[in-house]
Amino acid sequence: MLQSLIKNVWVPMKPYYTQVYQEIWAGMGLMGFIVYKIRSADKRSKALKGKIFASDGWGRKTPSYLFRTRRIPVLN
Amino acid sequence: MNENLFASFTTPTMTGLPIVILIIMFPSILFPSSNRLINNRLISIQQWLVQLTSKQMMTIHNNKGQTWTLMLMSLILFIGSTNLLGLLPHSFTPTTQLSMNLGMAIPLWAGTVFMGFRHKTKAALAHFLPQGTPIFLIPMLVIIETISLFIQPMALAVRLTANITAGHLLIHLIGGATLALMDISPSTALITFIILILLTILEFAVAMIQAYVFTLLVSLYLHDNT
Repeated sequence: MLQSLIKNVWVPMKPYYTQVYQEIWAGMGLMGFIVYKIRSADKRSKALKGKIFASDGWGRKTPSYLFRTRRIPVLN
Repeated sequence: MNENLFASFTTPTMTGLPIVILIIMFPSILFPSSNRLINNRLISIQQWLVQLTSKQMMTIHNNKGQTWTLMLMSLILFIGSTNLLGLLPHSFTPTTQLSMNLGMAIPLWAGTVFMGFRHKTKAALAHFLPQGTPIFLIPMLVIIETISLFIQPMALAVRLTANITAGHLLIHLIGGATLALMDISPSTALITFIILILLTILEFAVAMIQAYVFTLLVSLYLHDNT
């Protein structure tokens, strides 16, 4: 199957993948970087919200500045 | 009603497995490739359409730009067929997802920009300042041109997403209104049904036009940079 894939896809498309689309590969790398940044920011904000809501058991309102600034949660 | 309205835009899963990849790959089945010189009617019509579109779109480019013909023709065929298939009832349209459209827009736009900076650096930088600008306006205009450059992929993606999503939502709403009005006032329901038919015709046109606009804009960015 790999041989037929190479013969039918890679051989005719080789000049495109290696020369013509070089800038598009770079663009895909840029897009992957943007996706990684967005995902990690989302994960970090969800983890932070989870820590804040889990740790405060006294019913106090969470200060709004905690959502806006980057804080590293400290485990006591 | 609110949840029903947006339920058709959730990525489909079957027993927990995402089948969205299969749905994205499905339109390629409708475009069979053939090694014959004289093909059957379906392939002949498709090849004629592709030749017509590629001639119309790619004649403005030089040799370097014309190397992107395959990419741009695949793009317009993919977006056009995906949008048209999405007009079938109860189907999922991948191009309603912003993630999908950004995934198409960002690499292609970035590809054209990198190509411009790599092969024609001075001309690419010169695009940031239109000819004949008064001297005191130069700093502001460079900032504006930079912002407009970085907005291009966002505009490409959001334009396609918004047009297709809005069309589907309107069809859903007016269809629901037609159904609800059938018991209350059949004549009003008939008028609403005629509006629904006209809207569906419009959506067919929008599906094809949006595919053309997306590809044409990428082709224009490529022309600026080659």
